[in-house]
Amino acid sequence: MDLTDRFTTAAERAGARVVRCPRRSALLDYLAAEAAGSILLPNFAVGSRLNLAAGLRQRNCPVITEDFRRLAPRADSGVTGANFALADTGTVVLDSTDEPLRLASTLPLRHFVILDPRKILADSMAAVGVLGQLQKHPDPGFTAFITGPSRTADIERVLTIGVHGPAQLHILLLQGVSEDLLES
Amino acid sequence: MNRQRDRNYRARIEAALAATRQQDALHRFGDAYLEARRQAFTGMDFEALRQNVSRLKDEVDSHREDYLEQFSRLARAAGARVFRAVDGAAANAYIVDLARRHGVRLAVKSKSMTSEETGLNAALRQAGVEALETDLGEWIVQLAGQRPSHMVMPAIHMFRDEVAALFGEVTGEAEPVDIQHLVGVARRQLRNRFLEAGMGISGASLAVAETGTLALVTNEGNARLVASLPPLHVVLVGIDKLVPTLEDALCVLQVLPRSATAQVMTSYVSWIRGPVPREGQARELHIVLLDNGRSTLAADADCKDALRCLKCGACANVCPVYQTIGGQVFGDVYVGAIGLVLTAFFSGLEPAGELIGACIGCRACAAICPAAIDLEEIILRLRRRIGDREGLGLAKSLVFRQVLRNRRLFHALLRGASLLQKPVFGGRDSIRHLPLHFSSLTEWRTLPVIVEKPLRDLLPAVENQPVSGHRQVALFAGCATDFVHPRIGLSLVKLLNRADMAVSFPLQQTCCGIPALYGGDRETATELARQNVRALLADNPQAVITVCPTCSTALRRHFVELLQDDAEYAEAARRLAGITRDAAVFVAEQGPDPAAHVQRGTLTYHDSCHLKRRCGVWQEPRQLLSEAGWQVQEMERADRCCGFGGSYSFAGYPEISREITKDKVNAILRSGAAVVATDCPGCLIMLRGALEKRGLGLRAAHTLELLGEALPDSSR
Ligand code: SF4
Ligand code: SF4
Repeated sequence: MDLTDRFTTAAERAGARVVRCPRRSALLDYLAAEAAGSILLPNFAVGSRLNLAAGLRQRNCPVITEDFRRLAPRADSGVTGANFALADTGTVVLDSTDEPLRLASTLPLRHFVILDPRKILADSMAAVGVLGQLQKHPDPGFTAFITGPSRTADIERVLTIGVHGPAQLHILLLQGVSEDLLES
Repeated sequence: MNRQRDRNYRARIEAALAATRQQDALHRFGDAYLEARRQAFTGMDFEALRQNVSRLKDEVDSHREDYLEQFSRLARAAGARVFRAVDGAAANAYIVDLARRHGVRLAVKSKSMTSEETGLNAALRQAGVEALETDLGEWIVQLAGQRPSHMVMPAIHMFRDEVAALFGEVTGEAEPVDIQHLVGVARRQLRNRFLEAGMGISGASLAVAETGTLALVTNEGNARLVASLPPLHVVLVGIDKLVPTLEDALCVLQVLPRSATAQVMTSYVSWIRGPVPREGQARELHIVLLDNGRSTLAADADCKDALRCLKCGACANVCPVYQTIGGQVFGDVYVGAIGLVLTAFFSGLEPAGELIGACIGCRACAAICPAAIDLEEIILRLRRRIGDREGLGLAKSLVFRQVLRNRRLFHALLRGASLLQKPVFGGRDSIRHLPLHFSSLTEWRTLPVIVEKPLRDLLPAVENQPVSGHRQVALFAGCATDFVHPRIGLSLVKLLNRADMAVSFPLQQTCCGIPALYGGDRETATELARQNVRALLADNPQAVITVCPTCSTALRRHFVELLQDDAEYAEAARRLAGITRDAAVFVAEQGPDPAAHVQRGTLTYHDSCHLKRRCGVWQEPRQLLSEAGWQVQEMERADRCCGFGGSYSFAGYPEISREITKDKVNAILRSGAAVVATDCPGCLIMLRGALEKRGLGLRAAHTLELLGEALPDSSR
């Protein structure tokens, strides 16, 4: 099995939905169909490269690109990229030091992550170096490992989704947008 | 332990035993956990992974100051404030003061066992700050005014109807008893509070020295909100959470979620370094590094391994005592095996004493621990320490010192008991007079009969054994085989004779001393070790065979330890340890030729705690039995304790023991087998007694007995 398949299997087992998007328009159509309410769209490399804001607005989606502190608590969806991913556990890794990225990935019920499959690493041990690069620079840093949706089993051990964070995690695979593990 | 305290504790156990709904839930949880965990570790080398974790944690331990200094320096470089708190009071004072200075009225918390340890919520409340738990389980427990009964699942002792009632009080409406709905209530109720809060308080699972990074490992996503929404983030973290490098942290993450919740990875791991920015307002990150007894623990050679703990909760999940009485009773701030150890350091030996006494010594905790902590061994050392401090009590010390150390007297008493039991009770229901077992608790199991002729009188002399060569081994029988189940020893002789090997029975052998040692009388145990070493090595045998795993542990480990400073015996004890073999393994090595292939029926096998988890033996007996014509039908959790635990089931906590035995008997019944085999005479006493009492017609037998019967010229 190649890395993308392994990643997909593990991420789906953790409760994420993994969607292969052949091109930008397919990705935008998916977002427009699945995102409900207003969409938090922070500034990130792949997002700008794909010009997501324009694409979503074209599809009549209400997009929020600023004033996150005020607007994020009421938004329904958030869209971010990913720095890289881990195949063995189905984890996406997002450097979310920037507050808008943090808000977009923690508050809404739906979180959409755009990932270039070339950024999938085999496992966490393969990520030691890049995690070091993200954590060793002098400024503060917040790196998030995200594996499936927010969950709890605190009442009678019954697995229940979406207790504090996103209840849905959509991972959109799009080839050719980034190979750089230090950007999202 | 003082009387009143003991009485109170027993009352709490009674109450816990009456809470059958909780017991049931903990049992189902334990079973489901084990299966899910097995899947999560599929394809991984658990032993190698946990050795690695223990190595890296020990590395921190040997250079703790350096790593603390490095961590603090790098965290500060990223803008964090770091405070070292010697104890809980200092940590609380720092956090309360911070809240005051910033005018904080509400602090939102994510799960932090460390803050339970320091009593932070109460300290904040006194200062007029509301400390709101946001982890679902913690919030439930907080609303109920209780403390967590599990380190990972704080509200595992509660049920959906109770949660609905608690939430109804918050919302002022009748909340439906539906879990999905209740989780939604928590999301809605808590969401705004994150946004209002002036302070977020969390713990951390890891503190990485090489970068000054903290890792928060969670599933719900509340820790991320706590860490990034309020203007102040306080992390209260024990100094035991340090790891040297990011790579080490990732190694810990390979075992932590798998052990804690049987997930390959939790939903979120947040790596936080310094105060992350917030729009329009500066944020602060305060890291409180808590000692609170950890340095004392580190300096205690007997117990320091406990500092490797990852707080995964696995040792509670698999513990039969925890499953029976729950974390509210079998624990304090921390529960289960690690709870017993940490309570001794955080709260003192006295409160720990009752918990330590309630441990049955099954080693399930040590086998599952992802940090390779030998929890049972540490508990044993603490028990000894309590014994040293509190003395033995008159009855125990009389038996140990006056009787056990004097083999002739001890054995004469046992023989006398055999005569005595007849006129009084007749037949099988009789008092057991083996050391320590004075009680006549026969209501839920029959007690074994002390035989008229012990094994030492029955075993044929070496000259009379049908062997041609000169190969000879010595048998160490142990009290239960010698005086209760001599057939076990006779079977061994038959089996080994068939392999052309003679078996001698050194007559000076006596009790292995474990009852004295575990009962806290080291001196008597040492004296018995000397007597046995002398007796067993007298004829210079090529091997000494044990038929009881507990005795085996005594010969192989405890004798060496007890006699290490004894100039005359240290070397001999090591020699004895080197030639001591477990019967099943030794017999399997002799490659016995089973008789013509006969179908003997189905049998289920019970793993004795000590044989499997001390001696590492579980395959050989099964293999021998199936070669002898038995079809082995596994029961559920074959290696779960049978409830015996030596004096535990008689003098310690017979009411807990009874419940554990009941679970075992039910597992045996569900297997559908007609016979249950085991390799431990102690387990045999327990299983036979419980099966007989319930009139179930199932047979319990030692593996050697069954193998002996399978030999061609045998009759039962
Ligand atoms: S030895 Fe057994 S009874 Fe004792 S704490 Fe460990 S698991 Fe529980
Ligand atoms: S002692 Fe071991 S099993 Fe128990 S909580 Fe700590 S790491 Fe987990």
